[in-house]
Amino acid sequence: MSEITLRNVIKRYGAVEVVHGIDLDVEEGEFVVLLGPSGCGKTTTLRMVAGLEDVSDGNLSIGETRVNEVAPKDRGVAMVFQNYALYPHMTVRQNMEFALKPLGLSAKEVARRVDEIANMLGLSELMARRPAQLSGGQRQRVAMGRAMVRTPDVFLFDEPLSNLDAKLRTQVRLEIAKLHNRLGTTVLYVTHDQVEAMTLADKIVIMRDGHIEQVGTPEQVYSQPDNMFVATFIGSPPMNMIPAQVRERELQANGLALKVPPRFEGRLAEGQSVTIGIRPNGLSLAGAEMPNAAPARVEVTEYLGNEALLDLRVGPHELIAEVPALGRPAPGTEISVQFDPDAIHLFDTETGASLSR
Amino acid sequence: MNKPSTQQAILVYTLLGIALIVFMTPIYLIASSSVKPSPIMFQKPPAMIFEPTLDHYRDLFAMRPFGKFIGNSLMVALGSTAFSVFFGSIAAYAISRIKHKRMNDVAFWILSMRMFPPIAVVVPYYIIFKTVGLLDTPIALIIVYSTANIPLTVWLMKGFFDEVPTALEEAAAVDGHGLISIFWKVTLPLAAPGLAVSAVFCFIFSWNEFLFALMLTGSNAQTAPVAVMSFWSSDAVQWGRIMAGSFVILIPGVVFVLTCQRWLVRGLTMGSVK
Ligand SMILES: Nc1ncnc2c1ncn2[C@@H]1O[C@H](COP(=O)(O)OP(=O)(O)O)[C@@H](O)[C@H]1O
Ligand SMILES: [Mg+2]
Repeated sequence: MSEITLRNVIKRYGAVEVVHGIDLDVEEGEFVVLLGPSGCGKTTTLRMVAGLEDVSDGNLSIGETRVNEVAPKDRGVAMVFQNYALYPHMTVRQNMEFALKPLGLSAKEVARRVDEIANMLGLSELMARRPAQLSGGQRQRVAMGRAMVRTPDVFLFDEPLSNLDAKLRTQVRLEIAKLHNRLGTTVLYVTHDQVEAMTLADKIVIMRDGHIEQVGTPEQVYSQPDNMFVATFIGSPPMNMIPAQVRERELQANGLALKVPPRFEGRLAEGQSVTIGIRPNGLSLAGAEMPNAAPARVEVTEYLGNEALLDLRVGPHELIAEVPALGRPAPGTEISVQFDPDAIHLFDTETGASLSR
Repeated sequence: MNKPSTQQAILVYTLLGIALIVFMTPIYLIASSSVKPSPIMFQKPPAMIFEPTLDHYRDLFAMRPFGKFIGNSLMVALGSTAFSVFFGSIAAYAISRIKHKRMNDVAFWILSMRMFPPIAVVVPYYIIFKTVGLLDTPIALIIVYSTANIPLTVWLMKGFFDEVPTALEEAAAVDGHGLISIFWKVTLPLAAPGLAVSAVFCFIFSWNEFLFALMLTGSNAQTAPVAVMSFWSSDAVQWGRIMAGSFVILIPGVVFVLTCQRWLVRGLTMGSVK
């Protein structure tokens, strides 16, 4: 087990810089997820840690050692690739044994380890098959098994679930969580799926365009987003965003006026442009006379079982509210929607930075 | 694929039949003439029914050390094939994997070495080998044939290496393997069809080559094709022996191609990266 440290790590392809000096600490035994939209540099960062891409600038350490110039085979990492990259000319058993060959173990020890992991992952029946004879889920497990037999210091996963169907994804996600609990190995895990990130991570690193936007626990990135990008990226359906201006201790938007919540008192300047952020569950149905309420028209309702999502129009703004499914208003109804002051986030419209801290 | 209709099947088999006749007729003539008694060899119309004789084969091996020449041919062809496939593959691998904008030019430059007309270089080769004392040795022919076979192998193998997903090599690197181990155990096995194709081309070229073999060898390192032609002298052409020799020469090539054929399988990388 080892920690991973990135200090001002830069990756350039020719003249194009795709990772712009990121700092990141992955503690020993921690499960860290790199989360971000496609093309933001997650894979590139992971591949630099694996040693498959050169680090253009900065420092990369695994354990105590700087590994910028260390070959992948000497880094003590194991990786599960997005497309699995199983050796097609080898059986499942040979695939796993191949990862053990460099360790120079006795044949007996190799067999013991392979069988143990195969049992753990339910691969025992498949050992004589070749990758072409396996289903997607089985290939995924072989890829994990091949990474696990080496008992590496660090596990690297690149979107390991993206090629599985929804049901299998949930199941394997749970298995990965269990494995991490059992083995306690340091994990760096890449995904663009926030559900995977929220359920698996000790710590989430949110990336955009080669920058880190926020690092925090799943709770932190959900409830205290540092900026508008994180606020809208995390959470489904996404946070409602309403541009507004501060006037006389009110947040005034077109068709809407909210009291500045007490915790923002003294932080806002008169006339400042801010963006109100509020998650769908921060909106509720209320009587028109309530404070912080605004008239709204229900455009569409989406029934989800326990809850329903309401697509609302408040003045010119389109908002989504999550309300109890029971007694939900019908489409076309005029209602009054209330903004929970404790659920309100404020962001500087210009910089996108959160004004909460 | 759809099941071919009867009409398609008839067409395909007709074309195959024509191709078969075109390609097999010379071989039939060689085989039948090699067992035809000399007196009726040039009968018109050709004698179809006759008492086969093995006289020509007996003469072939009795009058000259034809077995030795076959051995020379085998040594030269296998030697050059092994040498070319080995070094050609390594070079092709480098060309396939090194990302440089002029790499295609390097590949073309290597291929262009195969384009020189043999007759233009045979005299320089003669002088060189005479100087270094390699004239009339199998090594001389192995070197000469490899200069033609390596470029071809490089060109062929580059295409096959390009098809092996680099993700597999990266997986092996992360699994703790070094460059040589990755090449040997992951990349090369997946490019095996390329090895088979290259080996067939190298072997057949070396086995059949005549001009260099004629000019650069004497009684010691003579190859089978040259030996067969020596039955064609100014005073007499011994057709029976030529045909018998030709037929014997056909055999190793056929055996070699059939052996390599089992490596010519497709879809080796199926199941690796989707
Ligand atoms: N080999 C490469 N050459 C040039 N640009 C690349 C290369 N690999 C990735 N990129 C670019 O780097 C950026 C980040 O890519 P990547 O790390 O794969 O994103 P992610 O995994 O987050 O989807 C993308 O804009 C991509 O186009
Ligand atoms: Mg990616």
